[in-house]
Amino acid sequence: MPREAEPSLNERAFVIQALQEGQRLDGRALDQFRKLELKFGDQYGVADVTLGKTRVLAKVSAEVTAPYTDRPFDGIFTITTELSPMASPAFEVNRPTETEVLLSRLLEKTVRRSNALDLESLCLVAGQKCWSVRVDLHVLSHDGNLIDASCLAVVAALRHFRKPDTSIEGDVVTIYTPAEREPVPLSWLHSPFCVTFSFYGDNGEIMLADANLLEEQLRVASCTISLNKHGEICQVAKLGGTAVEAISLIQCASAAVSKVKEFSTLVDLKLADDIKRRDKGGLMAELSAENER
Amino acid sequence: MTVTTEPEALLSHLHKADGSATYSYAGYTVIGAVNGPIEAQKRDELPEEAIIDVVVRPAAGVGGTRERHLESLLQSTLRQIILVNNFPRTLIQIILQITVTPENEYVNGKLVQANVNLPVVPALLQTAILSLLSASLPMTATLTSTCLAIISEDGQRHIVKTPTARQIEQSQSFHVLAFTSQNELILAESEGAFTMKEWDDVYSAAYRQCCTTAATDDADTLMDEGLPTDTDLRRFIRSTVEQKTASDLYWK
Repeated sequence: MPREAEPSLNERAFVIQALQEGQRLDGRALDQFRKLELKFGDQYGVADVTLGKTRVLAKVSAEVTAPYTDRPFDGIFTITTELSPMASPAFEVNRPTETEVLLSRLLEKTVRRSNALDLESLCLVAGQKCWSVRVDLHVLSHDGNLIDASCLAVVAALRHFRKPDTSIEGDVVTIYTPAEREPVPLSWLHSPFCVTFSFYGDNGEIMLADANLLEEQLRVASCTISLNKHGEICQVAKLGGTAVEAISLIQCASAAVSKVKEFSTLVDLKLADDIKRRDKGGLMAELSAENER
Repeated sequence: MTVTTEPEALLSHLHKADGSATYSYAGYTVIGAVNGPIEAQKRDELPEEAIIDVVVRPAAGVGGTRERHLESLLQSTLRQIILVNNFPRTLIQIILQITVTPENEYVNGKLVQANVNLPVVPALLQTAILSLLSASLPMTATLTSTCLAIISEDGQRHIVKTPTARQIEQSQSFHVLAFTSQNELILAESEGAFTMKEWDDVYSAAYRQCCTTAATDDADTLMDEGLPTDTDLRRFIRSTVEQKTASDLYWK
């Protein structure tokens, strides 16, 4: 497999000097994101996120299985990321690269461990039957900042997803097909989003949001902060690289809060649009078997 | 769920791959990317020709033996039309990502083990061809592919073109055929029980669907007679590529 081409010395010097003069190659401000687009598919639980030239597709699926023996009251929730050669010929099938491992770890920490999805609500019969929810993340095109785009896609897809409705009478669990009963949404607690910052310069004094692939290859350190729109931080990851002043980390965190609020409104807006698109003739309220909380 | 009756395609939309295409038809959507010719690994390379590496990835779940089977089908088909002898000791990588499959509203699917099967083959082949065209890889011919099912109703057996998921489930036999642009049969896969006579009927139906290009002035007469005008797959591929070339060559 060919290796990813590294930027040449001239390119490197040019980009770094431009950044020191406060300029980016694509003319964005240092804290500006590329154009972000979110699309939902015809089926439930498919989200397609485009961030500049980066494109990520998340698909959620669910089925009934037996729960893990050490967690009889919890459902199963997994996120799988596999970078295919579609994103870049440097990625090989069935051989995870460092990027892929870091991406799946971060998503795990952000979405799974922050309890965004209520696992107990996925339990059907304790110790015997539970829902297994699975998110498949497909990276179609890789042009930097995979983490932010992927996290947004995963969260949006999970919030868009509907699982088949069930009913329990005694020991008998009935799972209704979509033709019998309208599927129900997952019990979602909060929406965490990731915001990644890249640092440049000898002491990491230049801070960039939403670096593209070239900028990502040149950075001296990076920091990913995951939080929800209430400003509750789920995780902060700064994996090696040059040491950065504490002040810049605080600046990152405050920039992340406002960005996450934007993401959150975008997802809410798109979800509302999608519901409106599906609700033809206002029949959805009658079809729903869901109770008011 | 709405099923697209007309095929739709988008060419060269992924910026990293050498060629790419999204193709949707009959409820399937497949995104394809082609990289090549690129450097092959030393242990894989063939001294006289290029290796064709096909990767089929399901929308949900992990790929298993079924995907490997589909990959081998596609690999042996595409090997014959790509000019592999022009690129010795290289690799041509074709990645096909299935994104949408038609859902059967009456069954809850098992998803952890992905359930990809023969019905997706026409969509995969068409996507592969469009991606290869978008990557400008030299080929001896393009190909068109279709699937047909034989359904028995009141003791009568009849052929259904591009059947739905539910029709396939109820069908007696199911066939996938592909033809090159020189009207030669290149792939024939069948499932279920059928007689030789039925296969011949299927063959001629598929031949009509894949190989006859109604000339532009003929189209009017066809509509006048009230015949159902089939989607002309060959012309579809041609017009998609023509449009793309025209828009690429359009200079301000």
